[in-house]
Parts: sequence; structure tokens; C-alpha cells
Amino acid sequence: MRKIIHIDMDAFYASVEQRDNPELKGKAVAVGGSSRRGVVAAASYEARKFGVRSAMPSKLAAVKCPNIIFIKPRFEAYKEVSQQIRNIFYDYTDLVEPLSLDEAYLDVTTNKKDMPSATLIAQEIRKRILEETQLTASAGISINKFLAKTASDVNKPNGFFLITPDDAEKFVETLPIARFFGIGKVTADKMKRMGIQNGADLKKYTEADLVSRFGKAGRYYYRIARGIDEREVTPNRIRKSLGAENTFEDDLTSVPELKEQLKKITEILIGRMEKSDTKGKTLTLKVKFHDFQQITRSKTITKWIENEDQITSLYEELLGTFDTGDVKIRLLGLSVSNLNHELKEEPIGQQLTLDF
Amino acid sequence: MKFIVSSSSLLKQLASINGVITTNPVVPILENFLFEIEEGKLTVTASDLQTSMITEIEVESKENGNIAVPAKILLETLKNLPEQPVTFSIDEDTYSVEISSDNGRYKLAGENATDFPKVPTVSDDFSVDMSTEVLSSAINNTIFATSNDELRPAMTGVYMNLTDTNTTFVSTDGHRLIRYRRVDVASENGNAIIIPRKALNLLKSTLPSENTNVSVEFNVSNAFFRFNNIRMICRLIDERFPDYENVIPVDNTNTMFIDRSELLSSLKRIAIYANKTTHQVRLKITGSELQISAEDLDFANEANERLSCEHDGEDIEIGFNAKFLIEMLNNVDSDKVELRLSEPNKAGLLIPTDKSDNEDILMLVMPVMLNNYV
Repeated sequence: MRKIIHIDMDAFYASVEQRDNPELKGKAVAVGGSSRRGVVAAASYEARKFGVRSAMPSKLAAVKCPNIIFIKPRFEAYKEVSQQIRNIFYDYTDLVEPLSLDEAYLDVTTNKKDMPSATLIAQEIRKRILEETQLTASAGISINKFLAKTASDVNKPNGFFLITPDDAEKFVETLPIARFFGIGKVTADKMKRMGIQNGADLKKYTEADLVSRFGKAGRYYYRIARGIDEREVTPNRIRKSLGAENTFEDDLTSVPELKEQLKKITEILIGRMEKSDTKGKTLTLKVKFHDFQQITRSKTITKWIENEDQITSLYEELLGTFDTGDVKIRLLGLSVSNLNHELKEEPIGQQLTLDF
Repeated sequence: MKFIVSSSSLLKQLASINGVITTNPVVPILENFLFEIEEGKLTVTASDLQTSMITEIEVESKENGNIAVPAKILLETLKNLPEQPVTFSIDEDTYSVEISSDNGRYKLAGENATDFPKVPTVSDDFSVDMSTEVLSSAINNTIFATSNDELRPAMTGVYMNLTDTNTTFVSTDGHRLIRYRRVDVASENGNAIIIPRKALNLLKSTLPSENTNVSVEFNVSNAFFRFNNIRMICRLIDERFPDYENVIPVDNTNTMFIDRSELLSSLKRIAIYANKTTHQVRLKITGSELQISAEDLDFANEANERLSCEHDGEDIEIGFNAKFLIEMLNNVDSDKVELRLSEPNKAGLLIPTDKSDNEDILMLVMPVMLNNYV
């Protein structure tokens, strides 16, 4: 049985804007163009009360909610937050599948913190997101992607919902067809015309029936009607390197100091490598000087780098490649790349399919 | 009822329609050929309910009559007889069939011809003529890319779309798509059908090598092909064909021209070293060099070749299923081919550079993801 979490930021773009501009707090905000042809990319919950939805033409939004404030999107800011939340996810698992900037699936069946409860992980992640970004997120917890995604919507915003394996079928049976993830408006309308109002109705159809009516998607509908979804959480980002670094309160000025700190960093790195069963063939040393100037030096060997002695002799060699005589160093980092995982994944190419 | 016919001419006709007969038909009588004699002409029908093939042959006979004859025994007998006239004597009460030749006599149990399912006739139909050359190249160019997925019936056949300027044949299995277009076949009234793969395979093996006319007639449920003395009727796939034009990219500007046979033989060698489930090969185009490589880490196998090509665009690295590429290249007889790419996760196009004036071939293939592409 898998443990899947779906995390979805609440009114993401609009919330980032409200966070960064306190004047917008508590007001109806729409991110998107206000011009004649603009559409709403995201609406704050205050605006949603008036019926403003994302993808709605801005003109219509202005009619529904005359006091609405239009904000130009700042994708750089959203990307930054997105990266922040992804980094939080990676503290728990590498099996993170981002769906967009503001939502992702996490497979926490086995997780880096060895936490047995997916619900507690989800709660911890939500708490950390709030602390680190001042933004709220909703979470859905269940045994597959479909159920987790559906669950995250149940207590939105700023809530979470768990669908246990025992509840799954019951939950899906009573779920209105329009609330199924993967069933859009057009399909939902078509299903309603067929008399399908909820999961229980959908379940009455055979797989062949659904496929003949809806094409390949019919197979997915057949499965989700039974709460079954075998799709894996596929991180499209495979870890390329693993590292550890430290910024010092006082700049390091001597080689013995440097070596002492590198030894500590090596210990942390080795710990991380062992934990994730990772080895690499390249070691990179990162040095940031007091003036924020940064250099990296790397060395690749033919054997796997997996123990402290190897790393020590490699960084000692790398230290010799730049002048360490009269320096002030504020940060040191070590990382391994050319990882064994990359190679392991290599032959498992996924055949892409035409999108009919 | 009695008739006399040359053993080898009968064998030739039976062999051309025998492919229809399945080993375990829905109704047992379909293991038979239906013989119908009228005015000295023997009409033989073979059918699997979906597809039926009919052929005609002149025989010496004074009476008219019908009988269903077990196909396998009859064919084996004729195959093993030296060329000679053979006499068929049919007892219309017991349905027993006796074949007499110079070598001896063979008796087999036939069945009542009226039990043989009626072959549909095509009425209110739409008709178009094309040459055997057009039809067989359309089939050869498309049939290999049809799908085996019975849950998506539309893709198990070849789509034929007639317009007033051309005729387009399309096949796809979801991973690749072939669009074969002829401008020398057109019809004022547009019409489109999906012809099942089995019918096309039968046509492929039966169409004569000498060029002759094929008349194609169809309505919504059946298509009717007629050439020489052979007719084939098949039930059409009554489904909506995927919206194929939408998935054909128009902005693949990264282009490469390469010798077809060099590429094909290289791929055949490299494919030996590819992973046996994905058949993934990596094409890396840098400047005017194409590097083809594959590896199968389970067996520590790897291979790498370099070919020269004409390339216009950014350097690119893209993975494909070698089997797909080989099959596509095998079905093209151009000296050179053009590969049009955009991104390692977007459809690639393979286009033969020389082709006859009347045809247009486009082959689309979806990549296999290389995992170093993020």
C-alpha cells in the first residue's frame, strides 16, 4: 500500500501578492491582465466569494466583483516560492512530482524522516510551508494520486483530508462526477447526459463501454470509479548531485581551519550519501569568499566515491588548485555528482504517447 | 451435381482467399469454402463474418448447385495432387463430396450450403477506383503502424479519407503515426472510413503484382473491393478516428538529412545493444554528425556509431525506440530521409526526400525519454 500526499497551495499567485503587498490583504485580488482580453490567472478567496474563478475573462471578473484589484503576474516571485516549497518536499522524499508551480504529489511510503504517518508528514509540511513562506497550503493524503488529489480539495483552503484505504470506495461512490480529477466540464456534461451523477453511477459501466465512449481515458475512468489509480509518482527531476555546505559565522582564514571544516562537511555528506544509497564519480568543492565571489573546483575519478578517505584526498587535491594563502572564506561546500542513480535509471526510458 | 476443374487453377483461386478462414471460427461452417455453381461458373466464398472473400473460376458442369466443402482437407488434397483435371461429385442429400483424380478417389463430408452465412451486399454505396499499385503502397506504408489495442478499435485499422483533391491513409498506434497521401485518387464527394487491419493484410497478400484497377465501394458499414476475379467484403470499424492532424507538429525546425540505408543499417546494429524492453537508442546530433548509441546496463552492453549528416538547427539529443525507426525506414524507398525534430520530449517527423509526384509520406514518432533531459 502506497502513501501519497498531494499538496496544493491556496490561491497561490494571489496569496503571494497579498503576502508581498499588505495593502492587498483581505481584498478581492485577481492576478492577470485587466485589459480587454485578459484572463484571471488566480483569484484570492475574497474575490472567489463573488464568483471570480481562474481562467475567467478579466472583464467578466470586473462585472462580478466591481472592487476587484488586478495585479500583473510576477512569475519570478512565484517560481521562487515554488522552489522553496519543493525544497521542503525533498526533505521528506525524492519522489516528488510537481504538477505546476503550486502543487505536487509526494510518495512518502518510504521517507527520509522514517515517519510512519503520512498525515503527520502532511501536517509538518503544511506547517513548514506556512513558516517559511507565510502562505497556506492544503493537503490530501491517500493511497494513490487520484485519491490524494481529490482529498486535497475537500477541506480547502488551509486544510487537509485523509482518505483511508477502507474509505476509498465509499468516498468515490458519493463523489459528484464533476469533482473527479481528470473529468473536465465537457466529459462531466457528457456523463450527466448518460445519467452518471457520481462515482457509484460511473461504476456501473464496463471498461470496454467507457473506452468505446471516451477513448483511452475510459480506462482511467473505470479505475478511478473504483478508487484505483496505479500511476506512479514520477519525479521528472532526477537528483543530479548530493551535497553539504556550511556558512561560517566568522570567515575562515587559514588552511588548517579550512581542513577542519571540510572534515565536518565530509561527515555530513557521507551521512547523506549512505542514507540515500548514493555514490558518485565526481567531487565538487565550492568556496565562497568574504566578498561573495564564488568558485567551484571538481575532480572526477573512475571509481565510485563512497568513503571519507577518498573525499579527503580529493578535496585536498582541489584545495591545491587555488591560492589559499591570504583568503577569507565565508562558505564551503562539497558535493558528489555523476551519481549511480542516474546510471541505474538510464535504460528505463519512457515511451511517450500521442495525445489524442 | 458434378463438375470438372483443373486441380492447379482451383488451388490457385482457393489459396488466394483461404487467408480469411480462421482456425476457430464463431460458427463451425466457416471452416468451409462455399461452392456455388451456376452456368458453368464456380463461385467460391470464404468468410469469418467480418471479412469475406469471393473468387470465380470456369468449370465444366451441366447442373447448377451449392455445397460447403471443408477448406483444410480440400486445400491439402489439391496441393498434393499433380496438375490434372479433377472431378467433384456432390451428393445433394448427404452433402458428401467425392473428388476423383487419375491417382484415385477422395471422399469428404461437406455441409449444407444454405447454412453458410450470407455475405453482405453493399448498397447505397460510394465508389472510387484506384490502381493496385496505389492501394498496395497505401497498405504497405501504413499497416505496420496500426494498433493491437482492442480497447481502442479505431486505431486497429487504417483510416482512409477521400477528398476532392486527394486521398489520405492514416494509421497510428499512439506511439507513431503514418500519413500517406495520394493526389492521384480523389473523389468529388468527400468520405472517410476505417478499414480493419485483417482485411488490409488479406488485400496485401492477394493484390496482384501486375498493375490493374481496384474498384472500391463502401457504405457506412461495409467496404467492397473488386479486382480481377476476386471480391472482398469487409465490415468497417464504426468509430471516430483520432484527430490526427492536431498531433502532427508544424514547427519542427531542427532538421537533419541523412542517407536512409546508412541510418537503417547503423540502427540495426546499435539496436542489438539496446535495452530489450525499451529498445531505446540515443540520437545525438552535433554539427553535421549524428551519433547513435545504446546501452543495456543489465548486461553491460553498449554500442556507439557516428554518421555524417546535413543538419540545420541546434545540437540535440533525443531517444527513440529503435524498432519503430527501423520499421519506418524499412518501409521507405527514398535514398535520403529527413528527420525534423523540436524537443527531446516532442514528436519527431521522418520524411522521405524522394518520392513519386503523386504521393506524400509523413511518419511521426514519439520519443523515448532520455533521463538526462530535464
